[in-house]
Amino acid sequence: MMRGEQVGSFVFPRWTNVLRPVLAVALVVVPAYVVVLLAYGASPRTTNVGYQPVQPVPYSHALHAGQLGIDCRYCHNTVEVAAHAALPPTQTCMNCHARIRTTSPKLLPVRESYATGLPIPWVRVHDLPDYVYFNHSAHVRRGVGCVECHGRVDTMEVVTQVHRLSMGWCLDCHRHPEPHLRPPDMVTKMDWVPPGDPETYGRQLRQANNINPSTQCWTCHR
Amino acid sequence: MPRGLIYGAVLLAALALIPLALIARARVTTSGVPRIQLIQDMGRQPKFKTQSANPMFADGRAMRPEVPGTVARGELHEDGAYWAGRTPDGWVMAFPVAVTDQLMRRGQERYDIFCAPCHGLAGYGDGPVAKRADALQEGTWTPPSSYHTDLVRQRPVGFIFNTISNGIRNMPAYGPQIPVADRWAIVAYVRALQRSQDARATNVPPELQRQLR
Ligand code: HEC
Ligand code: HEC
Ligand code: HEC
Ligand code: HEC
Ligand code: HEC
Ligand code: HEC
Repeated sequence: MMRGEQVGSFVFPRWTNVLRPVLAVALVVVPAYVVVLLAYGASPRTTNVGYQPVQPVPYSHALHAGQLGIDCRYCHNTVEVAAHAALPPTQTCMNCHARIRTTSPKLLPVRESYATGLPIPWVRVHDLPDYVYFNHSAHVRRGVGCVECHGRVDTMEVVTQVHRLSMGWCLDCHRHPEPHLRPPDMVTKMDWVPPGDPETYGRQLRQANNINPSTQCWTCHR
Repeated sequence: MPRGLIYGAVLLAALALIPLALIARARVTTSGVPRIQLIQDMGRQPKFKTQSANPMFADGRAMRPEVPGTVARGELHEDGAYWAGRTPDGWVMAFPVAVTDQLMRRGQERYDIFCAPCHGLAGYGDGPVAKRADALQEGTWTPPSSYHTDLVRQRPVGFIFNTISNGIRNMPAYGPQIPVADRWAIVAYVRALQRSQDARATNVPPELQRQLR
């Protein structure tokens, strides 16, 4: 290095002065962006709602439960007595399909299952994590309709998840069940509407049936 | 200020909108892919829940069906009148359960669930499934019987119970779907339907008969 030479004197160009306010803004905007992205992207409304797997048989609730008006409990016959809602065994489909649409290619997996005794591999739609213990009978017998948690299944060609099924969703209703209650014999009527104001009607039902949903952790986690 | 830097910043801002747009799209469309759990916790435990698959068994069922030829504890049904509608002397003629208002209401509810799709709400064999099957004209369908014929009216209650449990001719068995207590409730309701469609003036209490005219 030679004497007199200027060493390492770099002069920032004048325009870099703009960067200081820009950097200040970025320090606020970027974290805010990350927070919004996570809150919005990882929220159960984004990740859980709208799950619609392809089923092995193009079975339509809109046809069977909607147009033909078959009650949910004809197929899901354990909802009132058990924690789980039974998916119908192949025999239940064959009650009718042994005589109706006997040659339909859409029903081929059903006939195969009937002949071999192997179950139809239905794909689960609603699926809580294994550390949650849900119970259908506790809800259905107390007058919480299928529609409150599963939506208008009777208009669905393919079953789709329409609610979050997150802990916040369960607790929203457990803390304030009134607008979601109905007489227990109406639970499978998908188009039932309360007579009058849902809030006051629900309050009457809640009092009459002594409904007190628990919010204790051990109700759902064991 | 160099142009490149400005373009870069604009590009970055535009790119930053893409994830948001994707999320917005995910919220309004359906998807066949199961949800992604960012934090697994113990959401998937190596245990078998009802109706889950178990690769250990050839048929893949975690819920094991009954072994043929065995009887579970407490499941030995010796009372033939109640469990089969039949005694060694033949079909049961009188209800082996008390026919109460409650039983009748239960029967109505269960009838509407399990029988009405084919037999119709009033039992004339004109349920929505029967109508649809008739309209299809496939030639494989037998119309469900009307309950309001002398033949079915004279069937013993035990015979109707057995019809539900094991089916009859072209009618499938409903035993696997309906518990025994509910089957008796349905029989009671079928009897009530038959009475309702076969009512005569003499069924009305004498003091009310005059009002009929
Ligand atoms: C004819 C029989 C039948 C009737 C009637 C019926 N279902 Fe289903 N249901 C099925 C079958 C088979 C499946 C599995 C295939 C599928 O998900 O589409 C199913 C699946 C479902 C699922 C999704 C289960 C999961 O994997 O999470 C829900 C929810 C459901 N049914 C609700 C209802 C409701 C509510 C009604 C009454 C309005 C009803 N079902 C009537 C046969 C029936
Ligand atoms: C109570 C009677 C009944 C039961 C039980 C029933 N179905 Fe059906 N299903 C019908 C009728 C009636 C039709 C015909 C409707 C039409 O095509 O007009 C039909 C049509 C169908 C079709 C369309 C066939 C085609 O070629 O268009 C499929 C698929 C089907 N059913 C699947 C099932 C499955 C799977 C089950 C068992 C979970 C089942 N059904 C149980 C009455 C029934
Ligand atoms: C309080 C909310 C709620 C109500 C009311 C409700 N369900 Fe469910 N259902 C659920 C949840 C949550 C699951 C997922 C359960 C799991 O993963 O363990 C589910 C699962 C199911 C399944 C899949 C099989 C199973 O048990 O996991 C079927 C079928 C079903 N429901 C049918 C029905 C029918 C039919 C009714 C009305 C008689 C009904 N449900 C009422 C919340 C509800
Ligand atoms: C639409 C309203 C509603 C939703 C949503 C709901 N519940 Fe409930 N839950 C009730 C009502 C009402 C009861 C009955 C309370 C009673 O019997 O006093 C109940 C009872 C229960 C019970 C039985 C409590 C007991 O005392 O035995 C469990 C377990 C339960 N709920 C779990 C859940 C879980 C898990 C979810 C979310 C996946 C959920 N619930 C979502 C309304 C709801
Ligand atoms: C009404 C039912 C219910 C009650 C009461 C309840 N939970 Fe939950 N909890 C759930 C459900 C459903 C999930 C699963 C949420 C999901 O799938 O994202 C859950 C998930 C969780 C998780 C895991 C969260 C995650 O995303 O990893 C924790 C931890 C938890 N609960 C703690 C608690 C505690 C502590 C309490 C008592 C203050 C409690 N829960 C009460 C239904 C309940
Ligand atoms: C899938 C449609 C279907 C359903 C659902 C159904 N049945 Fe039937 N039922 C039939 C048919 C078809 C016949 C006529 C059988 C024949 O003549 O081959 C019949 C005949 C009958 C008969 C007359 C039998 C005789 O000759 O004495 C009775 C009684 C009866 N059913 C009762 C019931 C009851 C009770 C239920 C509800 C648990 C029910 N059925 C549900 C289709 C059905």
